[in-house]
Amino acid sequence: MTRRRWLVHLIYRALVYRRGRTLLLLSVLAMASSLATALGLVSYSMERRVAEEVRKYGANLVLVPEAAHLDVGSGGLNFGVVSEPSYLRQDQVESALAAGGIKAERSFHLRGALQWKNLDLMVEGVNFADIRRLFPWWQLKGGWPGASEAVVGSDLATRLKIAPGSALELSAPAGPMTLRVSGVVSTGGEEDNLLFLALPELQKALGLPGELSQVRLMVTAGGGALKRDASSLKKLLPAARVSEVRQTARTSEGLLAKVKLLMLLVTVVVLVSAGCSVAGTMSATVLERSKEIGLMKAMGGTRLGVMSIFCGEAAMLGLVGGGAGYILGTAIAQFITETVFSASAEFVPWFAGVSFSVSLFLALAGSLGPMTSVFTLDPVRSLRGE
Amino acid sequence: MPSIIETSQLTRNYGEICALKPLDLKVPEGEWLSVMGHSGSGKSTFMNLVGGLDRPSGGELMVGGENLLALSEDGLARFRREFVGIIFQQHHLVPYLTAVENVMMAQYFHSVPDESEAITALQRVGLGHRLKNRPGELSGGEQQRVCIARAIINSPKLLLGDEPTGNLDHKSTLMVMELLKELRAEVRFTVIMVTHNQEVAAWGDRTIYLDDGVLVREERVGQR
Repeated sequence: MTRRRWLVHLIYRALVYRRGRTLLLLSVLAMASSLATALGLVSYSMERRVAEEVRKYGANLVLVPEAAHLDVGSGGLNFGVVSEPSYLRQDQVESALAAGGIKAERSFHLRGALQWKNLDLMVEGVNFADIRRLFPWWQLKGGWPGASEAVVGSDLATRLKIAPGSALELSAPAGPMTLRVSGVVSTGGEEDNLLFLALPELQKALGLPGELSQVRLMVTAGGGALKRDASSLKKLLPAARVSEVRQTARTSEGLLAKVKLLMLLVTVVVLVSAGCSVAGTMSATVLERSKEIGLMKAMGGTRLGVMSIFCGEAAMLGLVGGGAGYILGTAIAQFITETVFSASAEFVPWFAGVSFSVSLFLALAGSLGPMTSVFTLDPVRSLRGE
Repeated sequence: MPSIIETSQLTRNYGEICALKPLDLKVPEGEWLSVMGHSGSGKSTFMNLVGGLDRPSGGELMVGGENLLALSEDGLARFRREFVGIIFQQHHLVPYLTAVENVMMAQYFHSVPDESEAITALQRVGLGHRLKNRPGELSGGEQQRVCIARAIINSPKLLLGDEPTGNLDHKSTLMVMELLKELRAEVRFTVIMVTHNQEVAAWGDRTIYLDDGVLVREERVGQR
């Protein structure tokens, strides 16, 4: 029999012999690691869930060009400020997003005016695929537009009596253009007064190729990402004004951080109390076995050699407790998320590592104190049971 | 015959109490030395010092050419596993291991556990039929024989007995002593046996008497 196999056999026999105490220790370790796992999983799932919820509120970062301002006045009189329309370059924005490592959903917008029957219509060029993905609350009657097609806001459609299928003869700086209305959109916001067409078509019609008047970003909230990305964009795009348009994102980040802190504190309290319980039980076990330790030393076992047997016992308890804790913790997390968030907890395999680490740490740290005190005794005193 | 144990002014104090007063003694290789004395006379202290289980307070102690005073903790552990076999009065068997596993435990600390060797050792002490029994299922005499098998499994040069028959009845005592005599005849290890029992001491080649930590008398078998 190899030494390692003998060691495992010895540890197994020792644990089985003290079934009651072994089960008690396993229960404590499983309970502590399951709570750490459950709270961790809930926290992780909650972060994802809140991020998903926040996405429903739309963009949380908006980039607009800094307008060029000019004071107008004469003879000591100031008549006010006039602004020169300015734009963001689409390629520069994309480069800045890549350079800043910003992983965010994005939609590009260009707003301008086109004439229809001597009326100025506010028109917005967008990428309809982005709109459908990022603004799911847009309600459309009719179909999404193809080439040379547009959708019209519901208020505008009512006011100008435009319906799906209507043809609009528009005049643009680049020349006249004809668009067919494919649908009527309703958002409950300012979009209801706009006409939407494909971004490249509007850029061409306005003679502004590659120019944008607004970029909307959806940064995943959490861990201060919003603030960090906003700050990064301000540095990379000095010609742009970066605004956090949704306070909900910040609020959710703050709330999430507080809940996570609460969970962390609860976990620490649970671990400390479980650690004390393990230390107490291990202490009693080790002291009860002081004669056995003395015998091992009398037979020539070094302190390290004897300690490895007891550490092996603690490690085996830690591993089994950690495994049980992971299974139990996943079930608890599932129950909590279903009850509180009406959603399933995510299955995160690497949390098994957390569970095993917590359980192993508690088992070894709890055993360290009593073991150190006994192992410093000489074999004669240990054999006497002192 | 060269000495396996040599002490010079060997002392052991526990605080104010002097358990062993300066002792000069030589034990030739292969001798069976019985150590007698009443409780607190220093005989167990002497045995613990010779076995490397305890450290002297002063003097010199050479065992098998090793100066035990100069050895570190790990050095003493190595000395014990390579040089010494111990038979305890209380047996000190591990309760959750079988007879054969208790013997293998000594092999584990010495080198590599070998079940067939452990079985042979138990058969030599007449316990071939009790290999898989745990200590709680064995009589006192049987437990002591497991203890003997465990003590001799690593072929020690020095066998120490701390009142090995102190808990046994007369019949078991005779059986254990006969067994030790046979084993010694085969292997020729040196025996140091601490005992209260004059009859048990008489199995040795020489008996020394300690009183209050002082060697007061010694006898050879032929002199009694």
